[in-house]
Amino acid sequence: MKKNTLQLFFILFISCAVFSVSMFTAPSCQGEETLNYRLKWLFNASVAGDILAEDQNLFSGESLDVKVKAGGPERDAIRELEMGYAAFGVASADQVIRARAKGAPVVVIAQLFQVNPLQWISKTNKPAINTVEDLRGRTVGITYGGNDETIMKTLLARAGIKENELTLSSVRYDYTPFYMDKIEVWPVYKNAQGIIIGEKLRKEGEDIRFFNPGDHGVQFVANSVVTSEKMLKNHPDTVARFKKALLKGWHMAMNPANQEMALAVLEKYNKNTPRALQEKQLTATRDLVWPDRTKDIGRIDVKAWQQTEQIMLEQGLIKSTVKIEAALIIP
Amino acid sequence: MLVRRILQFFIVYAAGIGFLLALKSIMGLSDYVIPGPLEIWTTSLAVANSYLYDVLNTLGVAMIGQILSIIMAFSIGTAARKSSWIGSFIKAAAYNIQAYPIVAVAPIIFILLGDGFASRLIIAAMICYFPLLLSVVSIMSEPITDIEHFYLATGRMRWQLEIKIRAFENIRKLTTVISGSATLAMAGTIVAEFIAANAGIGHAIRIALYQSDLSRILTALFLIGIFLSLYQGTLEWMGEKIIKKWVIVDPEEIP
Repeated sequence: MKKNTLQLFFILFISCAVFSVSMFTAPSCQGEETLNYRLKWLFNASVAGDILAEDQNLFSGESLDVKVKAGGPERDAIRELEMGYAAFGVASADQVIRARAKGAPVVVIAQLFQVNPLQWISKTNKPAINTVEDLRGRTVGITYGGNDETIMKTLLARAGIKENELTLSSVRYDYTPFYMDKIEVWPVYKNAQGIIIGEKLRKEGEDIRFFNPGDHGVQFVANSVVTSEKMLKNHPDTVARFKKALLKGWHMAMNPANQEMALAVLEKYNKNTPRALQEKQLTATRDLVWPDRTKDIGRIDVKAWQQTEQIMLEQGLIKSTVKIEAALIIP
Repeated sequence: MLVRRILQFFIVYAAGIGFLLALKSIMGLSDYVIPGPLEIWTTSLAVANSYLYDVLNTLGVAMIGQILSIIMAFSIGTAARKSSWIGSFIKAAAYNIQAYPIVAVAPIIFILLGDGFASRLIIAAMICYFPLLLSVVSIMSEPITDIEHFYLATGRMRWQLEIKIRAFENIRKLTTVISGSATLAMAGTIVAEFIAANAGIGHAIRIALYQSDLSRILTALFLIGIFLSLYQGTLEWMGEKIIKKWVIVDPEEIP
């Protein structure tokens, strides 16, 4: 009886394994031409260039069939690259560095955000935060485990401020503690929630200001375009054409002359956000993606990547250096 | 019973880990996608103490949530056992509320109560309560015709007696429902912690997810499984004790 049960269990286990492997490997076996591009977040102004490249047939102009797929909190483009679900994806620098530290064969082909949109807001009727020292004695929101925790703790450590000199308070999706002044300094994505919260407070006769860690010496790279080493090695031409079409899309989306077209595309992909709000989000995104018009969109800031790695090392998020430069594909 | 439960859990967990490692090996996946056995082991050693505390914290909230749910479900369920308008109203309301995704309701609870103990408790109780209520209503509204007929015919039937008869005749079902609801209470607490709380194993899982650390998640799942098995095993054992006691004592107690 016991032997039969064990045999049954073994057969079940093997069947599951075979079924799963065949499922996971099926797409690559079919040899389909469609290349999936997994974004980091949902369709909004932060991905304007990505969706514009798809909508305006810029990928097909490069003889590529690319499907741009929305991301989300539980999506991980790097895992999808390895599993073969996506050929390209968007990941934040910390994801890339963590993945490299664990042996994932991922490379960066373009850096979408030159300025990290992750910043802190405070109300203008509260004392200004002009330096990191101004955070002393304040209640500062952080998402435990998130990038903002790493960035804030780095800021504090570098300024020689101990964590007991201010109050770090856990935050999530609900902004009520900020509206009610229970938490004075709140982490947001400047071009997304930053706009929405600002609008709400302005209606109530209040206003917000941003605190950018980048202005205080902490450069922590945000979203970048990634692919696998295998893809780069076996299909360098596809990677080059993808990057060309994608950056063309970003150039079009970030060019103020194309504002109307970009907004129309955004409205098509994101029907739930009012146009006026998307317009403000697009303008804010422009300053983060293309802050210096003399430089190219998608430029990989090696020094910022190195600093990101150094920060992660200091914060104990990686055990040893990964030499991230090796993963940055600079033409 | 307890040992068997733990053993069964070990088999399921080992099978799951074995499946993941087989997949990793067959597909040549990096430690980022599926961590290797050494990493799982070292991570579990590193986080064991803090996760143990987190799981006990979560289990404590889940137990209180479950007790509250049981009290409420039995109070309302027995009151609603009659096929009256109130009974059907409670059933309809329970079905409807149960259908709401807790992730949509949770932010309202967190706005009202903050992200502390009370929110976790209410969400745990919410997830546990409605299935429990529906089970209690359906069990307690089923007449035990053979026995009840005698008391009805002799005019000695009272509502307390009706509840006693039905509870006695369905004692095994009721104890199974109660021990089964432990899983719901635990799941509810973890969901609450995952969404917004600042403590508990759900909060720890959320942080591990932010940091793409599957080995921590596997450690958390292991501890959750162990403690849930222990808790459910204890409830089942208590259920058996109650059944034995009722079986011996009950015939004399029924007037």
